[in-house]
Amino acid sequence: MGYAASEPGTATVAPALAIKILIAGGFGVGKTTMVGTISEIRPLHTEELLSDRGIGVDDTSGVESKVTTTVALDFGRITIRDGLWLYLFGTPGQDRFWFMWDELALGALGAVVLADTRRLQDSFPAVDYFEQRRIPFVVGVNCFDGARRYDPTKVRRALGLNENIPIVMCDVRDRGSVRDVLTTLVTYAVEGMSPRY
Amino acid sequence: MTGEDPGPLIRLYGLTGGRARPQGETFDLVAIVVTVGGLSGPAGMIPEHRAVLSLCRRPTPVADVAAHLRLPLNITRVILGDLRRDGLVSIDRPRPVAQTMDERIYREVLDGLRSL
Repeated sequence: MGYAASEPGTATVAPALAIKILIAGGFGVGKTTMVGTISEIRPLHTEELLSDRGIGVDDTSGVESKVTTTVALDFGRITIRDGLWLYLFGTPGQDRFWFMWDELALGALGAVVLADTRRLQDSFPAVDYFEQRRIPFVVGVNCFDGARRYDPTKVRRALGLNENIPIVMCDVRDRGSVRDVLTTLVTYAVEGMSPRY
Repeated sequence: MTGEDPGPLIRLYGLTGGRARPQGETFDLVAIVVTVGGLSGPAGMIPEHRAVLSLCRRPTPVADVAAHLRLPLNITRVILGDLRRDGLVSIDRPRPVAQTMDERIYREVLDGLRSL
């Protein structure tokens, strides 16, 4: 195979670590675009098979009866170094897949809630979700056309956000802009963990 | 998102002996999978098992394994559960991020992001 037989654990000095970041927000706000802009790979796509517990849709007789539907799960990756990665997971936009968020959110460093000022109300569910679970998040206001500027104070008031939650104006198509959003999130999340930083 | 052709699903359950979900613990999306005990595995392994053993020579998160196999997450988890039961892979449960995110990792992540 052209590979020296390696003993487990000798491949890297430190244990491999994948840090999870969620990209949330309403349908069509730019989650998939954001992941695609910054990911070093084309956003990978896998599917989650759902059981019928709590869903109660689609009867697929002939297949295992518990299986009713699939939900796409898109994610991207940023390699920091060998054995250290950031994984960006776009949360499913449809309400009936809310239960999947719990799995996605488990152990996440934090989340970006993308907002569109034309439809700020679409961001409420994500804001509520992360506030209730005390998962650190920043709000990225996706400015679809660069001409329009938005007042962060108004966005903060409209979303009922605490003063300390960062609001970043961004363009999810722009790599530097997405990088700034993620940098803000990582800094904010880590500062909230411990007074050491 | 929905309404997929059920044909592939039937094949998928063939891979897992009809199991839709892994027994016992499910593995986190970013749990790290590493091949242990050599690559060959027992004779008669299905190609998907071989593919995992090959891929996970380098530590690989569960989500990446699913994407590489082009299989749904829970099917991938069943496969990973089988491989772990047979002692062919190890799967590290992620530690809480507050424990892993020490100052050094934090600096590395920030520097890595800024250099993008």
